[in-house]
Amino acid sequence: MKNQSGPAAASAPAVQSPSIAVLRDVHFDVDSGKTVFSALDIEIRRGAITAIMGPSGTGKTTLLKLITGQIFADRGQVIVDGLDVARLNRKQIFALRRRMGMLFQNGALLTDLDVFENVAFPLREHTRLPERLIRTIVLTKLHAVGLRGAAELYPQQLSGGMGRRVALARAIVMDPEILIYDEPFAGLDPISMGVVLRLIRSLNDALGITSIVVTHDVREISQIADQSFIISEGKVVASGTTAELRDHPSPIVHQFVDGLADGPVPFHYPAPGYHEQLLGGKVFA
Amino acid sequence: MIAVLRELWQSLTTFLERVGLLVRFALRLMAILPSGLLRVRPIIEQVYNTGAMSLVIIMTCGLFIGMVLGLQGYDLLTRFGSEEYLGTATAISLLRELGPVVTALLFAGRAGTALAAELGLMRATDQIAAMEIMAVDPMRRVVLPRFLGGVIAMPLLVSIFIVVALFGAQLVGVEFFGVDAGSYWSQMRSAVELSDIREGLVKGLVFGVACSLIAVYEGYNAKPTADGVGRATTRTVVISAVVTLILDYILTALML
Repeated sequence: MKNQSGPAAASAPAVQSPSIAVLRDVHFDVDSGKTVFSALDIEIRRGAITAIMGPSGTGKTTLLKLITGQIFADRGQVIVDGLDVARLNRKQIFALRRRMGMLFQNGALLTDLDVFENVAFPLREHTRLPERLIRTIVLTKLHAVGLRGAAELYPQQLSGGMGRRVALARAIVMDPEILIYDEPFAGLDPISMGVVLRLIRSLNDALGITSIVVTHDVREISQIADQSFIISEGKVVASGTTAELRDHPSPIVHQFVDGLADGPVPFHYPAPGYHEQLLGGKVFA
Repeated sequence: MIAVLRELWQSLTTFLERVGLLVRFALRLMAILPSGLLRVRPIIEQVYNTGAMSLVIIMTCGLFIGMVLGLQGYDLLTRFGSEEYLGTATAISLLRELGPVVTALLFAGRAGTALAAELGLMRATDQIAAMEIMAVDPMRRVVLPRFLGGVIAMPLLVSIFIVVALFGAQLVGVEFFGVDAGSYWSQMRSAVELSDIREGLVKGLVFGVACSLIAVYEGYNAKPTADGVGRATTRTVVISAVVTLILDYILTALML
């Protein structure tokens, strides 16, 4: 079922590189002029679970958008499976995306379709498979996430964790080579979190795919990640295995991994002096 | 003075920029139109959503506007002793002006806002981004069927509005005030020409294109926040109403 056709796949390298995605010296500014990345270097290993971590607002989701070709770097290169994303046209980017699956933070299920049709959606759009086969594939994927019995429910009838699992079934229905997770644990109860955590590991191993997980849930992801990157102020400040990160000398890594309120990343947003502001000055209406 | 001129210049460039973006959006829709027409089912679903779901409001308003026309028309025509022309007067005013214009305004308020809010919420809840990631073009899959649904539904709604309004005018003129039914219908039949019907339908189609385009454009490009979706729906109604009235003048001048 893997879609190897299309111009992007046609120009993919014959010998597989050990890295499936490489970001080299990436610079990216948002429209307001704020620098998100300055000289960002990341290499994502094929077949591994890679965690991208960092404090809120460091551009983790922006990084995913760069990898999926939703936005392009101002400078530097983003290479996915041997292809320079910035050089691809829309058709080639779509061909590349067919080899990816993505789990959005809120699931992003189509609200006018039931669970079955949500999972079947990519198959109906990209293949001409007979209805019987579509049914088999969808039920298999729903079974993998434990929601075969919820096939007829609508997204608004699902809990947060169930919605996330349906979105995961949809993300794997085209048998992608890369599976991207954007904050997969946000807002989940401990049971749902454990379920999603185990699913990420088991899907990665069973399907032989590469998983990229953007999260700031250090404790959870450290149980399953093969390699991790911590991004701060537009750069990678630390990378390695979970154990390596734990022993890292950088104060910012120490603050992030141990969840300390204050440190290089300040607790307080920049503000005038506390006493000065309390005792006079500007009144907020 | 310079500050005022600068502000005017800025407003003009912003306006032209928005018109340019709308035209580019429309051209993109036109480019994918041939392939979009092959998928009939989503278009029929949208004709139902925008057209059939607007029927109650269109028919209710049509009935009362027809009844008001009957009242005002009867009052005016009896001053000249020519109340038998009530059918002609109401039919021509409805076919040429009131039918398409009022239907377009109601369409913008009911179906246009629903389209804009739906697309805006799809943007806010990442459904459109999810389609992009699944290599599905949201313009083709989501926007085009909604646009075509509106374009097809509008002339149908205009026709239904006019028929119901004529019934309303007849109810007041013939049933309440006792205008001769034979005169009412025969005068109408002899005075109304095919060009009058054509004018109404052409206006309905043009207003359908304009209102549907504005609704899908505003919704699709809404900021992904509650405030952004709210603004998109408000802009849909306001811009559709203004554009409808401007287009009405242009079309009337061209077709007279």
